[in-house]
Amino acid sequence: MIEVRELTKKFGSFTAVDDLSFTIGTGEFFGLLGPNGAGKTTTISMLSTVLLPTSGKIFIDGSPLTRAASEQKRKLAVITQEYSMRQDMTMDEVMEYQGRLYYMPRKEIRSRSAELLEFAGLSEYHRRTVRHLSGGMKRKLMICRALLIRPEILLLDEPTAGMDALSRRQMWNLLKQVNDRNMTILLTTHYIEEAETLCDRVAMINRGKLQKLDTPQTLIDELGRFTVDTTGDLSLSSMHFASREDAIRYLETADTDAVLRNTTLEDVFIECAGRKIT
Amino acid sequence: MRRQEDHLILSSGRQHFTDKIKIMGIITVLWEKWVEFRRDFYKITVAAMISPLMYLIIFGLGIRTTSHGQPYIFFLVPGLVAMVTMTGSFSAIAQNMSVQRLYEKALDQVMVSPTPLWQFILGQVIGGSLRGLYAALVILVLTIPVRHGLIFNWLSFAVMILNGMVFATLALVLSFLAKTYSDAPRFNTYIIMPMSFLCNTFFSTEEMPDGFRQLIEIMPLSQASGMIRSISCGQTPDLTGIVILLAYLVILGGISVFFIYRKKNL
Repeated sequence: MIEVRELTKKFGSFTAVDDLSFTIGTGEFFGLLGPNGAGKTTTISMLSTVLLPTSGKIFIDGSPLTRAASEQKRKLAVITQEYSMRQDMTMDEVMEYQGRLYYMPRKEIRSRSAELLEFAGLSEYHRRTVRHLSGGMKRKLMICRALLIRPEILLLDEPTAGMDALSRRQMWNLLKQVNDRNMTILLTTHYIEEAETLCDRVAMINRGKLQKLDTPQTLIDELGRFTVDTTGDLSLSSMHFASREDAIRYLETADTDAVLRNTTLEDVFIECAGRKIT
Repeated sequence: MRRQEDHLILSSGRQHFTDKIKIMGIITVLWEKWVEFRRDFYKITVAAMISPLMYLIIFGLGIRTTSHGQPYIFFLVPGLVAMVTMTGSFSAIAQNMSVQRLYEKALDQVMVSPTPLWQFILGQVIGGSLRGLYAALVILVLTIPVRHGLIFNWLSFAVMILNGMVFATLALVLSFLAKTYSDAPRFNTYIIMPMSFLCNTFFSTEEMPDGFRQLIEIMPLSQASGMIRSISCGQTPDLTGIVILLAYLVILGGISVFFIYRKKNL
């Protein structure tokens, strides 16, 4: 279980994360959504102890997470937005380094590493240095590296950024599979479809502040399950309704082009990111 | 990713950790340094040779002078040995850590791991020092034909290792302070190059004006050069130098450990 309590991070006078609190249950798939610059990566960086909070605390299974908390850190693996790996190491060396950092026996590192690279379709490139890999291969290698240590908690910072649609779907399937095996996952993303498909609950943040936190369906229901998009000369606007009847009534009175559809998490996101925050 | 329902591959939970070996983190960093050394062996070796070889040719063999009644090369070789332990250790860590922290973000992998961070620091310091020692050995081999009578014993090597540890630790501190990747070469220009020329490498500090002399003499390279030179001439070195080098090591080591545990934005 991860507990984030009143977490704040300031860089000079700029507040990147502002009094953020949430709890993620064991085995839960939790999404942290927000527009660019919302504070998602800063939050992940504090969860991975690369950044220390200005105030507030993080607890893993009830114990505070600090840079010295080896027992808590042992449960964590992180897949960062950037390719945070030694560029001059081969894939085998990257995996061995990771295994050694987590005190795995060498024999187990080698066997599990071979399995994972095979699973990811990377085994034929195992002696290739990271700098000579494509972006997609680096991303897969980061996943293999994270899974090598059989983490209990997986922190993912926009893991599908820059991926094509097929690779993204494959990544989703993989994440679902590992989550089904009781791995707790915290995913930051600005792909709303990703969060809607994968996450049990999502937290929406903007300018470092928590805006909403609930299951995707509850957030949609709160906004209104039906949406009418109206197209003006220069803009598209949306109205949300709890019932189809209300939406249809509005549609009939609209004097511009209008379309009725189901509300999505993206509407909730836009509402949070674009309207309520000034 | 291939479709595969392999429970073992995707499973989470406890590993069979081998943390019965309490210094496993240090061994891991030394393994990483070994991988780096093995890969860049020729580059590292050539880089360790070029500058000292130039100094030897120009000052030792080209401009033939004497110092303290002996051929100048007898003065120069111990100074160069001390200097390369400094440059070898410093560059092995400063460049590498700056790139890992600021460009590759590979330090994040270490920060999130359960490896105790003090062990990471100690591994870097030992690894850096060994690189400095390797550079010194290269120079000692190269100067075999011209250094008849100079003595290099276990105490010389102890001073070389200690000097290397001091500069590896300094490199760590500076690379934690670096804000951009280009800061690493700047540290070299502002700190390492002046020390190379002023700190008892090419000429004795005895003739320097008061105030400046004391400042230079307290520098770690001055102490290391002085001790290695005394040993090479068969004299007993002033072991105050060891105390001074240890003091630098403790202070800089303390700062680097403080940074890695407490620096807010690493």
